[in-house]
Amino acid sequence: MKHPYQIVIVNKAGTHLFTSVKNTVQVFELASGKKVGEWIDDISPDQVTHQNTQISKKKGEPIMSQPIYNHIRSLLLTGNEEYLVGTTDSDKSTIIFHVDFTGENCLTLSKRQVLAKRPCSISFDAGNENVVVADKFGDVYSIPIDTNEPVPEKELAPILGHVSMLSDVLVTSYKGKQFIITGDRDEHIRISNYPKSYVIKNFLFGHREFVSDLYVSEHDPSVLISGGGDDFICLWHWFDNELLTKVELRDLVEEYLHDGHLPPARFLTEDSKKEISIAKISTLKTDDSYFLIVLVENTRCLLVFEINDDFTVTHNQTITIDNSIVDFSIDESNKRIIASVDTESSQLFEAFKYEQGKFSIDSSLEQSFKSVTDANPFDVESKSDFQQLYYINSMRKRSEH
Amino acid sequence: MPKPPQPPCTKDKETQLREQQEAEIKRRAYRENKQNARKKVKHARFEEPTDVSPVDLPRKRFYRQRAHSNPFSDHRLDYPNSPDTMDWSKMYPNFYDSELGKMTSKVEIADIGCGYGGLLTQLGPSFPESLVLGMEIRVQVTQYVEDRIIALRNKHAQDDYKYDNISVIRGNAMKFLPNFFYKSQLSKMFFCFPDPHFKQRKHKARIITNTLLSEYAYVLKEGGVIYTITDVEDLHNWMVQHLDEHPLFERLSKEWEDQDKCVEIMYNSTEEGQKVTRNKGSKWVACYRRLPNPEECV
Ligand SMILES: C[S@@+](CC[C@H](N)C(=O)[O-])C[C@H]1O[C@@H](n2cnc3c(N)ncnc32)[C@H](O)[C@@H]1O
Repeated sequence: MKHPYQIVIVNKAGTHLFTSVKNTVQVFELASGKKVGEWIDDISPDQVTHQNTQISKKKGEPIMSQPIYNHIRSLLLTGNEEYLVGTTDSDKSTIIFHVDFTGENCLTLSKRQVLAKRPCSISFDAGNENVVVADKFGDVYSIPIDTNEPVPEKELAPILGHVSMLSDVLVTSYKGKQFIITGDRDEHIRISNYPKSYVIKNFLFGHREFVSDLYVSEHDPSVLISGGGDDFICLWHWFDNELLTKVELRDLVEEYLHDGHLPPARFLTEDSKKEISIAKISTLKTDDSYFLIVLVENTRCLLVFEINDDFTVTHNQTITIDNSIVDFSIDESNKRIIASVDTESSQLFEAFKYEQGKFSIDSSLEQSFKSVTDANPFDVESKSDFQQLYYINSMRKRSEH
Repeated sequence: MPKPPQPPCTKDKETQLREQQEAEIKRRAYRENKQNARKKVKHARFEEPTDVSPVDLPRKRFYRQRAHSNPFSDHRLDYPNSPDTMDWSKMYPNFYDSELGKMTSKVEIADIGCGYGGLLTQLGPSFPESLVLGMEIRVQVTQYVEDRIIALRNKHAQDDYKYDNISVIRGNAMKFLPNFFYKSQLSKMFFCFPDPHFKQRKHKARIITNTLLSEYAYVLKEGGVIYTITDVEDLHNWMVQHLDEHPLFERLSKEWEDQDKCVEIMYNSTEEGQKVTRNKGSKWVACYRRLPNPEECV
């Protein structure tokens, strides 16, 4: 059996699939499943786990921090799809690839910029000139997409920062001006001007728990959709500081929650609720509808809503499969959703096509998915060998008693 | 070098421990007593103060707490979800219009990391029309200031100036200022003798950094002023460097400092500042004006 994919991306034309499993990036032709690009992070995690071997001053024992995996945490295509950009946990870097399908291997690493703290989310500014990257320590950096040598990490100065863990960053435009939106563990959504990001425009207050995902659709950049550790997601007219709608999820998702959604043992009490964390928000526009698609972390369903013209949101459908969905991507051209699945079977992907008002399983890609999976370099014995696939809920703040 | 053998002192230790415990029990009892008084005042906010309310100033030694608090940790502080949901009426009852159901003024002056509140008690009477707020992260220090203000209000209940425009709140100013204050709400922010966090590795814990200054600029109105004072030259240079670098701040001149009454108050009235005076230490001052936003920004 193979290790599940933590990231899946379909390009706009719906012709190529970009994936990441553990420390590997692979690119495939969607129709044939033929591998057209590959990159393997050759920095082994034990070269960089030195921070785990620190000795605690007080107790003289090694500090047990979370294991650092050799893991690609985020991956994103620039708007023009000329670059693929990701972040690594191994050496805490931003990796920038030039994408060119005419070559043997479509991926050429053009820059690897090491950061001081582990990066967690990326976005691009207009014109795709810079990657903005947010780190775990609350800072955001801007890194030029060029082939110049990376700069020493100590020389990088943050363009903005929160005294909190950042979860997501987004650069977007409104009436010809650019803004940068950041979300953090302390319920904040901050909107700053860009590139003069030292001028904060406003904060959006509405979340009661951490924010984990910020989403703005190309179809309507005036609307921000945000989710995190709450039972709801929010739609905003972010520029006008206006909350449009709160979409309640609990009743819809309750039956798909399981023991994996309970708080960690030492915080577990008799009346602990199963906790909802938003893994991903996206939209898909068809000729007559505008769909909102939400993945709650570690569930085997995708919640599909319709966003109406007045920004009310109605539940339309819940797509379910047998195993938890790790990530999904929208194939706008073919009105399709492609999901990666946490399973011991060989069905590591699932596609859902929109037809006659509903999404249903699309088996036409089965053969391609099979060849994609065959190219997956990570054979594992059982689920217990999987790297941690769900970590969003660990952002939740707990009170120590 | 091997240590010389220690004389057995188990008994001493026991006594010590017992004494410590007794002292802590005493401190706690004192604070509980004060807390009850505090509650009474808070709940009876529209009634005349009753005769159980203390007029004697609280004693600092009952509120001692570890000097440092980690600004990064989330000690489940209470903070409003947004400035809209912040209830100031209990803190400044005389500035609350119960008929309209809203405050007649907004907080305009903030003392960040106010410690034992010396600055508040001086700023209050100097700006009787403005609401002055101290924000302090340490819980017992905050309680001390609350009790101090209650006592002052009781003592001066019949006077012209009643200490009704100063208050204190527990909060982490490095994380939650935008939850308390609207954009451009403040006209003055004070940073008096902030914790120096000497170690290089801890510099991000300093309360003045490039990125935090953007948040302070957000809550400050155009023309508003950041006041800083410290007895640690290194920290002074650090604050000056970062404020100089920040495009939204401009240093105010020595002449300006000399004529500004807040500079004088800040120089002499905080507990930390008084300690420095007693020890004949130096004090460094730097004040900065909030500049207008660049034209293309909103
Ligand atoms: C050295 S004392 C100075 C107190 C007072 N300003 C004076 O001059 O006497 C610094 C104070 O800042 C408080 N403090 C530190 N970080 C803070 C934060 N993030 N938010 C609020 N208060 C903070 C500390 O608890 C401490 O009481």
